[in-house]
Amino acid sequence: MTAPGKDLVIGVVLVAIAATVPFLFPVRYVITQMTLLFIYAIVVTQWNLVLGVAGIFSLAQMALFACGAYATAMLGLYLDWSLWAAMPAGAMIAVVVGLLIGLACLRLKGPYVALLTLAIAQVAYLVIITDTDCFIRTETRCEPFTGGASGLRRFGDLGLREWLGRDWIIGNYFVGLGLLVAAMAFSVAVARGPLGLAFRALRDNLGYARSRGISQFKYQLVVFALSAFFTGLAGAFYAAHFKSVGPTIFSFSLLLLLLAMIVVGGLGTIWGPIVGATLVMFADEGLREVQDFRTLGLGLTLALFVLLLPDGLTGTASRLLARWRGSGS
Amino acid sequence: MDGLSHETARSPRPLLVVDGVSKHFGALAAVDNLSFEVMPGEVLGIGGPNGAGKTTLFDVITGLDRASSGRVLFAGHDITRAGPERICHAGIARTFQLNAGFDTLSVRENIEVAAIYGHVAPVFPGFRIRPVIRRRVDAALELSGLAGRAATPAGELAVLERKLLMVATAIVTQPRLLMLDEPVGGLTQAEMDAFVAMLARIRGEGMAIILIEHVMRFLVSLADRVLIMHHGERIYEGRPDDLANDRRVVDVYLGDGAADLIRAALDPGVVP
Repeated sequence: MTAPGKDLVIGVVLVAIAATVPFLFPVRYVITQMTLLFIYAIVVTQWNLVLGVAGIFSLAQMALFACGAYATAMLGLYLDWSLWAAMPAGAMIAVVVGLLIGLACLRLKGPYVALLTLAIAQVAYLVIITDTDCFIRTETRCEPFTGGASGLRRFGDLGLREWLGRDWIIGNYFVGLGLLVAAMAFSVAVARGPLGLAFRALRDNLGYARSRGISQFKYQLVVFALSAFFTGLAGAFYAAHFKSVGPTIFSFSLLLLLLAMIVVGGLGTIWGPIVGATLVMFADEGLREVQDFRTLGLGLTLALFVLLLPDGLTGTASRLLARWRGSGS
Repeated sequence: MDGLSHETARSPRPLLVVDGVSKHFGALAAVDNLSFEVMPGEVLGIGGPNGAGKTTLFDVITGLDRASSGRVLFAGHDITRAGPERICHAGIARTFQLNAGFDTLSVRENIEVAAIYGHVAPVFPGFRIRPVIRRRVDAALELSGLAGRAATPAGELAVLERKLLMVATAIVTQPRLLMLDEPVGGLTQAEMDAFVAMLARIRGEGMAIILIEHVMRFLVSLADRVLIMHHGERIYEGRPDDLANDRRVVDVYLGDGAADLIRAALDPGVVP
């Protein structure tokens, strides 16, 4: 079977499984956590394009996610936009910010990209939590422009409650699933197509790639912009689904959680981020009873994978499969 | 074809002009006020001891390094300050001494990426590889003899195959000038012969070639003209057959033994 054929089969099977979950387990908690899994999975499939496929060590992904979330919340709150219109607008704002971050990182290498992108996210976080000036005054309290440390709420939702009643949460579940399918299809098309070749060539050997006509300037900006779109959209959906946005989405432990998803699944692989997101999410759920050990467990998992299975689960599996086939023929 | 060669014969415009190019690293002049020209379809061989500045000269011409002074003209256009991408699109493709490759990409993908991006810069490369690109990739796989290794990751190739792959990714960009940096260094005699056969086919397509090589037998048998560098300067430029009779070249580079070997290799009875 060809690679696109295999991708399609795997995709259809995964979507079919995901589509039955809300009917097999009609529990609000399960549906909410699965929706959150879809949101994180969107982010890691796009982050993987930058981090794995292009090999650029950017930690800016949660800042782009926050861009989409905050832009959507503000457009809804201050301009009374429908969130259905605010979400794509938020995604486009994330693309613009992604381009600027890509531009700032152009001349930097390896760990310096990580430092700069982390610093950018920290600055955004600090600007938000130290924002206490009154922007709008309600009867009871005054709200700063960015929502400050307590975040933004009451900016509307997707409006599925009027249509589906108590099942609105299942409606949101399927919106999340639809976005994940679109984001995944997009990342597969990019990674397997001519763009993916350019990103990987620049990653493998910069000077040689440039000597074969691949512009580092153009394609580094392209990968930042492309990966920012669905990341921003995921943030926008996060805001719309939970009906609130706060500075906690900048937290380091959340960044670590998503990074672990990519590393466990397999950096730079096609299906690794989805596999990793699912496994890490379930493992995190398992550790919920022992709160104190959650971050510790996460850090240990990350360290073990980096040391022992740097290709992640899917990368290692496909290598073993290739070796098994090689010895068979 | 005939009309074209008449045209070039009447107005011999050089394809590449290197005009007083210098490259300084601090006080060291790696390339020192060097000037030469390459005509369309010509093969220029560059030799010289280690550290003579040959690879630095390649880096300056192909835009990976900036000249400290002087100009480089290609097909009449000034490319002195152009980046490596633009120079590739202008029609110069080079190989590297250190056997560069995109190690995680398969052999076919290595050639594909060069075919998609190397000839002209695509505005947007799209999500599919176009049939015309596939045909060019197939042709390059065939020419380099790597068709049987198309699915192998480049990182797993042996030395000869890596060198062939670098040439394949170069010619698939459809250059007018091919620059080879020590293409046969480290190869066995039989492998070298395979390489010579491939270069003969490439020459047949009218491409100009500049090659750096220490294997003098290889250099003099392929080159129309030879340039010997020493401390960044030219110490010899001329026909390959006079090379072994040049006292300075023999003294600083060849030595008497190698000079005798070259004379033997160029014996009219052996090489026409």
